[in-house]
Amino acid sequence: MTEQAAVIGVGQTHHKKKRADVSIPGLLREAALRALDDAECTWADIDAVVIGKAPDAFEGIVQPELFLADALGGAGKPMLRVHTAGSVGGSTFIVGSHLIESQIHDRVLAIAWEKQSEGNAQWGLAGGRGRGIGAGGAFAPWIRAYIEKTGAPEYIGWQVAVKDRLNALKNPYAHLHLPDITIETVKESAMLWDPLRFLESCPSSDGACAVVLTNAATAKKASKPAAYIAATAVKSELGQFPGRDPVRPQAGVECAHDVYRQAGIGVPRQEIDVAEIYVPFSWYEPMWLEGHDIAGPGEGWKMVEGGDTELTGSFPVNASGGVLSSNPIGASGMLRFAEAALQVRGQAGEHQVDGVRTALAQAYGGAAQYFAMGILRNEPA
Amino acid sequence: MAATDIAVVGFAQTPSVRKARESEVQLLVPIVTEALARAGLDRREVGFTCAGSCDYLTGGPFAFVSNLEAAGAWPPISESHVEMDGAWALYEAWVRLQHGDIDTALVFGSGKSSPSKPEEMWAQQLDPYYLAPLGVDPASLAGIQARALIDAGKATERDFAEVVARNRANAKDNPNAQVSGDYSVDKLLQAPYVRAPLRAHDFPPISDGAVAVVLARGDRARELCDRPAWIRGLDHRIEVHQPGMRDLTASTSTTLAARKAGYDGGPLDVIELSSTFSPQEIILREALGLDADANVNPSGGALAGNPVMATGLVRIAEVAQRIVEGSAGRGLAHATGGQVLQHNLVCLMEGD
Amino acid sequence: MSDTTTPKENLVMNHLVSLSYSEELTPILERYVDALIDGRIVGHKCPQCGRVYVPGKGYCPICVVETTDKDEFEVSDRGTVTGFTIITPVAYYGQTETEPFVYASVLLDGSSGNLGGQDIIGVAHDQLHSGMRVRAVWKPPNERTAEGVSNRGWGSVASVIDAFEWTGEPDADRSVYEEHIF
Repeated sequence: MTEQAAVIGVGQTHHKKKRADVSIPGLLREAALRALDDAECTWADIDAVVIGKAPDAFEGIVQPELFLADALGGAGKPMLRVHTAGSVGGSTFIVGSHLIESQIHDRVLAIAWEKQSEGNAQWGLAGGRGRGIGAGGAFAPWIRAYIEKTGAPEYIGWQVAVKDRLNALKNPYAHLHLPDITIETVKESAMLWDPLRFLESCPSSDGACAVVLTNAATAKKASKPAAYIAATAVKSELGQFPGRDPVRPQAGVECAHDVYRQAGIGVPRQEIDVAEIYVPFSWYEPMWLEGHDIAGPGEGWKMVEGGDTELTGSFPVNASGGVLSSNPIGASGMLRFAEAALQVRGQAGEHQVDGVRTALAQAYGGAAQYFAMGILRNEPA
Repeated sequence: MAATDIAVVGFAQTPSVRKARESEVQLLVPIVTEALARAGLDRREVGFTCAGSCDYLTGGPFAFVSNLEAAGAWPPISESHVEMDGAWALYEAWVRLQHGDIDTALVFGSGKSSPSKPEEMWAQQLDPYYLAPLGVDPASLAGIQARALIDAGKATERDFAEVVARNRANAKDNPNAQVSGDYSVDKLLQAPYVRAPLRAHDFPPISDGAVAVVLARGDRARELCDRPAWIRGLDHRIEVHQPGMRDLTASTSTTLAARKAGYDGGPLDVIELSSTFSPQEIILREALGLDADANVNPSGGALAGNPVMATGLVRIAEVAQRIVEGSAGRGLAHATGGQVLQHNLVCLMEGD
Repeated sequence: MSDTTTPKENLVMNHLVSLSYSEELTPILERYVDALIDGRIVGHKCPQCGRVYVPGKGYCPICVVETTDKDEFEVSDRGTVTGFTIITPVAYYGQTETEPFVYASVLLDGSSGNLGGQDIIGVAHDQLHSGMRVRAVWKPPNERTAEGVSNRGWGSVASVIDAFEWTGEPDADRSVYEEHIF
């Protein structure tokens, strides 16, 4: 009943603190038109639009997809709005792929965005109340728990922060370009949410990301290489209850195992060539390496320490610079999938990892309780 | 080509009430349990869960996260959420079921309109650059739509009142209805205007409520239900947002969604429409090509109870219930999103 | 976009929107607040699994069974710090904090879940640690209010308990709180 889906077009905006040069529709069109261009098609070729963003309160617009229908060529088409907290960009990609796999549509535009400068995400995160703690404040205790549990040295977080920002220098779309960043500058940056420092945290960005999805048969005929979707999965769990392990959430473990199984991956560390993982705070790189069973318990930080996750390492993570370098919240999850697609298509430009055949994309959200993951390949199944 | 062997096999809804004292999750917990029980399905067997709700309605970012508690998300579940009416959550689940690797899904929609001021809150749903700053509210837009309908010679104020009287009378048999009873059209027409040519009774009530639906595929549907309500077609279409760029007296997206859902204009035993303002029933009847004597909104429709974010999925549940219980053979349910019918969904269902 | 050679100042239109919401507390939360003002902390104990939620939710999210007043259960105002961070406040419209503050989770004795976002007083920030035994510092009875308690689960004790302080007891064993890190 199902047909394999593939990515034939990828587009993203230049992510910045403030994209004052464009409206929200303009921002989305910038990403969408790049994706359509890449896919060598036009608005008329799109059968349906799937759109995702983080909470509406971040921009103060209720269900903004309704007004964005005009700018996205939505009229006369089905348009779905997904909202699964921080994982939403990943979920939106996956819902788009389902529309292809189920053979309901031939070409789908999946798009995700955030324009933080036109609202106040910190106000939104605090629910409009005082004493807001920011996302970092919510995750800091778990990061502390990871450090206590594994005995990881504090410089691991600094190392990830430097690595991702150096990768971002090779990505023209990245928000942060910090050529002078060093372990020292990270170490000396302000402590925001003990044990997390300023430079170990993601920026606030305006940005959008779009992909054009189609079926494998059509993708094979395209003039450019496609990224074939070998597996996708979404898993959610309750955010707080006794016995929950927020450092290694079970939903993340099961989501990972689900995509490995679907893609026939036995040893992820060996069979995945590059990973784009949602790392908004530096420590989440080793935490997810362990939380998705890429590294064994207490081994994630050693992969970081040994340089394995660097661009030229044995298991490159976030070659694009990741969320630490660009965080248009709602789009951040889709960027992981889009960057994974670029890698398997061999179109990542300067941050291309050599010989990628299999890439992992991951997004998470809420109280580390929503997961959206995918495996992309350079060849159809 | 979508599979046609996916069916509604369980459903439950709360009554629509002006103000529920329970939290939104408390509204959901018993009906999720009841819908699953009706299908005889254990919570842990559910293959996919999808919910529809609106943060702004609840009044907090990430409000939907706590609704996960009603699904019993431990151990972890495969789950998604749309910031849309639950009818679109059903759409996402229906798409997911097409894959064939799972055979059941749980869908729910919920909303409490009582804490906010709808005219204030829903105004923020409009284009933030050109419309929202004008402060135009949904009721005023509905008034403009009603005026256009009259000016086009398609309806009269009496027609609106007749819609209201019929829906409220139908709602007498619906234990979940918030507004019901016998009303004379002449009396209704004596009420003052609120947004001329609309009177208070042309508006939906402000409601709190929730609904849950269980879907199953193929043989599993037959196991779980003696007479599944098979989804023969499901489609949704959006129109441009700017009301000035649309013919407000027609619903082209409803017509298109119905055609894409495979509705051929054939006889329907039951039709449930999300016409939240009375003139919209007239527009939707025309969009679907329904006869004057078509059995529209036997539940009383959205004018009898409008738990926003659940209203559309309630329509699907109402049609499915009549098919499952054998009083209808073929039915059509409609859901809407946005202002003045911007986004419309059509679900065509049939018994064996 | 049409003229890229002469950058123009953007016209900025501030559109501040204020929305009001008013909701009566659920009956469960009303009882919870009444007890708090009385100096007691009550929750619901799931009749199926025995987990205690503070405040009660009216259901157990793990078992998905309903709970009622019959399942009300009083917990202690003493507990264990299960995790914490020091927040450097980020400025935003409505932010009330300007100085770094403690944000600790406290597992009250008898409860299965944490009380999040608590202040710990009388301890230097660098002396704070998980496992510390603490007790509630209550406001005087006439200053206790229901303010901050909402059906959305925010600010559940701030209007009755100022902070938590060290009890002087030795630290709790890690096994007491390792399943309660939040």
